[in-house]
Amino acid sequence: MADHTNPILVIAEKEIGDTWRDRFVLIVTLFLVTAAMTALVVGAIALKTDVTTYNAARAALLALGKSAAVIAKPEFYPLKLLRGFVEHVEIIGAVIGILIGYRAAANERGRQTLALIMTRPVGRIQFLLGKIAGALALIFIGLTGTFLLAGASVSLLGGVVLSLNDVLRLIIVDLLATAYALIFFLIGFMAALWAKKLPNALLVAFTVWLTVVLIAPQIGDTMDPDNQVAGGVFAQLHVTKAQEHAILASFSTYETLRNGIEIISPTKHFERLTFAILGIKNIYTGKALSPILIEKTGDIIWLISVIGVLLLVLLSRPLDPNRLSKE
Amino acid sequence: MPDTVIEIVDLNKTYASGHTALRNLTLEVRQGEVFGFLGHNGAGKTTTIHILTTLMAPSSGMAKICGHSVEEAPNEVRRHIGYVPENVRLYDTMTARANLRFFGRLSGVENLERRIDETLEFLESQHLADRLVGSFSKGLRQRIGLAQAILHRPAVLFLDEPTSGLDPLGIKTLRDLIVRLNTEFGTTIFMNTHLISEIAKTCHTIGVLNQGRLVFNDTITAVSERYGDDAALEELYLSITPVARKDEAA
Amino acid sequence: MMTTSPSPARIVLRHSLGTVVREQTVAIIAALFVALIFVSAFLGWSATSTVDAIYKSAAVYLTKQGMAVPPNPLLAASPLYLLRNMATYVSLIGSLAGIVIGYQLIASDRKAGVMPLIGTRPVERRAYALGKTAALVSILCGLVAFAALVSVATFFILPGFHLSAHDWVKLFGFYAVSGLYMLVFGLLGLTFGALSRSETVGLLIPITAWLSFTFILPQLTSNINPVASLNPVTALTAPPSSTFFQLTGLLLGPVSLAEAYRTLAAQLLDMLPPGFADRAAISPWATLLMALVLLALAARSALSRMDMTRGDYNG
Repeated sequence: MADHTNPILVIAEKEIGDTWRDRFVLIVTLFLVTAAMTALVVGAIALKTDVTTYNAARAALLALGKSAAVIAKPEFYPLKLLRGFVEHVEIIGAVIGILIGYRAAANERGRQTLALIMTRPVGRIQFLLGKIAGALALIFIGLTGTFLLAGASVSLLGGVVLSLNDVLRLIIVDLLATAYALIFFLIGFMAALWAKKLPNALLVAFTVWLTVVLIAPQIGDTMDPDNQVAGGVFAQLHVTKAQEHAILASFSTYETLRNGIEIISPTKHFERLTFAILGIKNIYTGKALSPILIEKTGDIIWLISVIGVLLLVLLSRPLDPNRLSKE
Repeated sequence: MPDTVIEIVDLNKTYASGHTALRNLTLEVRQGEVFGFLGHNGAGKTTTIHILTTLMAPSSGMAKICGHSVEEAPNEVRRHIGYVPENVRLYDTMTARANLRFFGRLSGVENLERRIDETLEFLESQHLADRLVGSFSKGLRQRIGLAQAILHRPAVLFLDEPTSGLDPLGIKTLRDLIVRLNTEFGTTIFMNTHLISEIAKTCHTIGVLNQGRLVFNDTITAVSERYGDDAALEELYLSITPVARKDEAA
Repeated sequence: MMTTSPSPARIVLRHSLGTVVREQTVAIIAALFVALIFVSAFLGWSATSTVDAIYKSAAVYLTKQGMAVPPNPLLAASPLYLLRNMATYVSLIGSLAGIVIGYQLIASDRKAGVMPLIGTRPVERRAYALGKTAALVSILCGLVAFAALVSVATFFILPGFHLSAHDWVKLFGFYAVSGLYMLVFGLLGLTFGALSRSETVGLLIPITAWLSFTFILPQLTSNINPVASLNPVTALTAPPSSTFFQLTGLLLGPVSLAEAYRTLAAQLLDMLPPGFADRAAISPWATLLMALVLLALAARSALSRMDMTRGDYNG
């Protein structure tokens, strides 16, 4: 048994123990698992339906003596099944981050325990880093569990063994998801540490979550001209892809604004990254990993920068002992 | 007004957790009395007040205030009572007057503004009227809590540990107010406390509760005649409630 | 010196309106909702005019190529289609605002620690519950009326939109349905604000329910991924035609509240995709009304059983 004399480790260890005992984070993680598994199973059933439809159509064509080449065979890429799963991580993973962050700060308020900690030879930064390390471990454990389950389910539902390359992609996405949830941990933690009234902190954090996770991508998505008309406006007008780009070029300001709204949201960066790495977006399906990572370096830098800025703000502000009371 | 204003017969209360707070409590408080209810922490004093003020239903037994059953006619009971909980709290973001206006309306008080002024004047607290309750000290907040409880001139006033957290001056002010309320308005007062010294100075009768049972009930005069001074009252109390201190917190 | 008027429910209503608007959280969420009403009006206008401009560019190109120019897809759409984002914002922020307002209406009294004082006043618990519900309805009505006003103003200000009498009826129908949908979540907030022992849990349970209605049930019944639920057009995509989805649609459809609202909103705003078939065993109206009745009963029961001896949350 190692004797943790490093205060960061002592605080991190206590953080993990506290959160484990406080069942709420566990319950929300189970909620994520439920949502993720629902997405996977439902996605697999939808895919199976496509295959059945294809087989029936193919059989009908062959029976009529025609070629089956006119209908497209539904292709099966196991990782594509993870679309709904990744989207749940975007939404609920962020909620888990907020809750762990809120809990980590709320626990110290109203009990004067921080005053006790601060009279020990522990620096402010060590205290904060201990909290962050604990949270990071918790988020990583929870998400990794969910990803393991998802990977196993994809194998089982698709009846294929995931290749080493697929597993590597899943590991990268797991790490990215941990970084993504860490952003929301920091938001929840800072809100609960600094809010005048503690319960308001939870709502403030949720408002940020609502804006960043749901509204900003929604606005970007809704402003996409191609999403305005069912089936896509360009398809309805029978315009070729080349011409579509030419037309859109003259709407560059609108597109810049739309893209600008999307990219203020870390959620969108996380989504672009994971959809590319897992080949969920068609243009990346079957593409090798390294060129994808090179192409998406910008999104990775964005995520890391957001974490960096939030950390900087957190570590640079002094801890206000007057804010340690409950009200 | 019946002579007996509080009538309790065989009252029992067992919580969902299985803890029995009251066992066959039988007690009477007569009109115009100041009744002091003594007991250790957890003896069942607050449970009794909660039942008498209609905040909680008893498990069995009967309790009446001014002839109205707390279970069958709770609204009638509420019209006749005022209640100041331990560490009374009010709406912090509202002024004292706005708080009193709200509770006065709920009590159906007529000529409310005049009544608020009269009540604040009685409590020598007119200067507090337009200040936010959130800025008050514990003593001041309790004074407005008391104003809230007597605004509708109740027949019975329930006070749960009224001196809790007050400084000596606050305790004295409150004691004087209780005596004035009793003499000027004839209000019957039912007071939970563990301060034996206060009982002797304010109350006419006392009851001692131990583990949910009433173990003593008599007038202060009778106690004084039998036991002498305050110190003797303390001795009496300790002799009839022999509970080890470690059990009190339960 | 006692009088029975004004009624206790009315006193509770007036008092609650006065205190709840001072709650920061209510102000924040209401402000967000109001901001999104304007965003929605802007988005509707901006996206519609962009698509229109794209159509004109495409028409020039197609004419040059000697190809037939198809009709403008926007002309075929109802002017009410301009409000398509409102449906999304009501189901996202409107419902969340409902939860927060409903919850705070109870929590503000509980946190103030005045429950024992209210509980000993001659006021029936029913009257207290009625006053709180009336306050919830009033605030939500205010928010919805404001949204409706912005929509009406948008139609008057923007050129090229002409609403028939039937369209106006549908517009107001849409806001009425939106108000009812928000009320369902408001009652959920009221219920858990009263029932819960912990302040955090009291807020998180309704939010978890909201997440399930908004993101999980639509996936089960119609294979709609969470992000697609956010887009007013893709949220109404038909599910794959398999026995599984027919069954889930039939069985879970009646409780899939967010979907019921989206379907109703799409009907009223003329944005149902052609050939859209609702597979639920009961009509979306029935789902919404059933939810309302059930939650009204739940809220009444929670408020009448609330522990008035202390009231404040555990932490």
